[in-house]
Amino acid sequence: MQTVVTDTTIPAAGLEQRIETLFQASQDNIHRRGDRLFARLMIFQWLAGIAAAWWISPRTWIGITSQIHWHIWAAIFLGGAITSLPVFLAWKQPGRALTRHIIAVAQMIFSALLIHLTGGRIETHFHVFGSLAFIAFYRDWRVLLTATVVVAADHFARGVFWPQSVFGILTASPWRWLEHAGWVIFEDTFLLISIRQSLGEMFEVATRRAKLEAVNVEIENQVAERTAALTVAHKELLETSRQAGMAEVATGILHNVGNVLNSVNVASSCVADSLRKSKAVNLSKVVALLREHERDLGDFFTNDPKGRQLPGYLAQLAEHLAGEQSRTLEELAALQKNIEHIKDIVTLQQSSAKTSSMTESVNVADLVDDALRMNSSELARHDIEVTKEFENVPPVTVEKHKVLQILVNLVRNAKHACDDSGRLDKRLTLRVTNGNQHLRIAVADNGIGIPSENLAHIFNYGFTTRKDGHGFGLHTGMVAAKQMGGSLTVQSDGAGQGAAFTLELPCPARENSHE
Amino acid sequence: MNQSNPKPIDDFPSTRSARKVGWFGRHTLAVTLIAIMVWLSALVTGMALILRVSNSPGSAGATPLRWPAQTQIPLDATRPTLVMFAHPHCPCTRATLGELELLMARCRDRLSAHVIFIRPAGTAEDWIQTDLWRKASAIPGVSVHADNADVEARNFHAQTSGHTALYEPNGRLLFQGGITISRGHSGDNPGRSALVALLEHKLSNQIKTPIFGCSLSEVEVQQAVSECKP
Repeated sequence: MQTVVTDTTIPAAGLEQRIETLFQASQDNIHRRGDRLFARLMIFQWLAGIAAAWWISPRTWIGITSQIHWHIWAAIFLGGAITSLPVFLAWKQPGRALTRHIIAVAQMIFSALLIHLTGGRIETHFHVFGSLAFIAFYRDWRVLLTATVVVAADHFARGVFWPQSVFGILTASPWRWLEHAGWVIFEDTFLLISIRQSLGEMFEVATRRAKLEAVNVEIENQVAERTAALTVAHKELLETSRQAGMAEVATGILHNVGNVLNSVNVASSCVADSLRKSKAVNLSKVVALLREHERDLGDFFTNDPKGRQLPGYLAQLAEHLAGEQSRTLEELAALQKNIEHIKDIVTLQQSSAKTSSMTESVNVADLVDDALRMNSSELARHDIEVTKEFENVPPVTVEKHKVLQILVNLVRNAKHACDDSGRLDKRLTLRVTNGNQHLRIAVADNGIGIPSENLAHIFNYGFTTRKDGHGFGLHTGMVAAKQMGGSLTVQSDGAGQGAAFTLELPCPARENSHE
Repeated sequence: MNQSNPKPIDDFPSTRSARKVGWFGRHTLAVTLIAIMVWLSALVTGMALILRVSNSPGSAGATPLRWPAQTQIPLDATRPTLVMFAHPHCPCTRATLGELELLMARCRDRLSAHVIFIRPAGTAEDWIQTDLWRKASAIPGVSVHADNADVEARNFHAQTSGHTALYEPNGRLLFQGGITISRGHSGDNPGRSALVALLEHKLSNQIKTPIFGCSLSEVEVQQAVSECKP
């Protein structure tokens, strides 16, 4: 896996450069850590040197008089001088090669001073070997070499100027220095091997990390691409859902319009039928009979049997025509009412077709009434009893068309649920209640209810239990409610137990709502 | 496979390039080198001074070539007798006693050893009871003496703590000097080696070595301008 990514996306030169960068950074960290360690160690050993001098040789004597031993001054001033530069460099220039070389030099010279201060104790010579091991912490063979050279130079100088002080050449041990050098080289050998192994491991770690980073870069790029694609898909899905929701609303509205149009059709047919069967045509027969006897109208009304019946007939006809007019006016009034209904529905449709997210202050009760009105024909046709329980709630600032869309869907779903239940006492209850900072609109029915296994999926996109359903309405409603800062939830005790959907909308705090 | 440009893999700031320009960074290399040279010079000078002082012997005095007749210290008639003079407070003498301990461990049956701690006039009795006294007393085969008013030191012309002399049973001086390699420094040294050689009869000629220790009295200091301090 790593090889594939490395070979295909990261140039070999870039990878090598990164490995080198990481390796150097790791070395730099070790060097800085070593500098800090030595700075503390050198200050400590300086103080320890002073303490040792004070303990071992506090005063020098001439007979019965005494004064402070020169070892103490040497520990303070020479020890301080040895310590000063490496500590300063570790503080000001940590990580630099010069700093650790100076530290190595100082550490070896301090070993010599400590050996002096302790009277050449064998145990103090361990400071040299311990210091070499500490210096190896740098994992830099050059620094180890510097320290070794300082030890050699110290022995060389002593051998030249005070030969007996180091090797004891006056005591038949002329080759003692070889033994000293041998032990230092012995330790150096192991330390150098250890440094070499450590550097190899560090390089391995750097290589692994560089390759891992390369893989991470590749993964991050892929994630970024996938995220961008998902963002686009999400937007498209939202738009599709919105359009689907709108289509569902439009379908409901057209359905209601169609129902009203049936009433319009019936009313207009009644008017037409009434006009077609009108007795007004008999009036022309009366007129023709009168024209026929226009010269002897008196005789006609007095002696002619038809003439004598004519006033009574005209009275009956007038009464009949008046009845006809009354019925026609009633039909026309119904027709006008239905047309007004259609107008209202179309107005609502136009209102809900607005796609902007403009918010406005609306009365929730009015919105619920609008939703009921848009489904009124269906509700009436299926004999669904509607109950409204509205608390006095303040106006809310929402996207009106979204709330209306949700409510229309909920009322329609409730109607379907009641229909499918087959029961006779179909009831739809709409409650508007005022919560704390939220306003609740509950649409409850006593319909078929929702099985518990479906409750978890009821708001899923595309989930529906109706044959002609799309599964968009509730999902779109839930999304819209969330977008408005509210929520859409459902509660049902199971199949046949009805269901209640609750739309929560944010509203001002209670104390404000009563103002 | 992804064709987009991958992120640059070296986007981490290099610790070297990110390092702030420090005190030395704003100055020339010459200043740095000068500072280091000054520091090294100070250290070399200091170490040289230490070595010089450490290797400066005290006044040896003229040790009698024959066993002093007026001394209260007994001369062993069967084996060589060693006398060592010590200042009870001299820190350098701790190394001398350490060397004596090594010598006694090797040649205990070959000599009779005496360590004489000076007790100048006017000092309290407990002035002499130091850790050096206890250390000397603990060495097997060594007799420890208090030299009231420095009488014995004057008998043997001892002026520096650590002054050691070895006499044959017949009273002839075999060795005079110190048995440390420098002031207060333990380890192999010509004095101890010479004593071993003399006691083991590998040498027979008279040997003299430098003495490293505090002056035993102000008088000798004034006379010999010898001191136990830098």
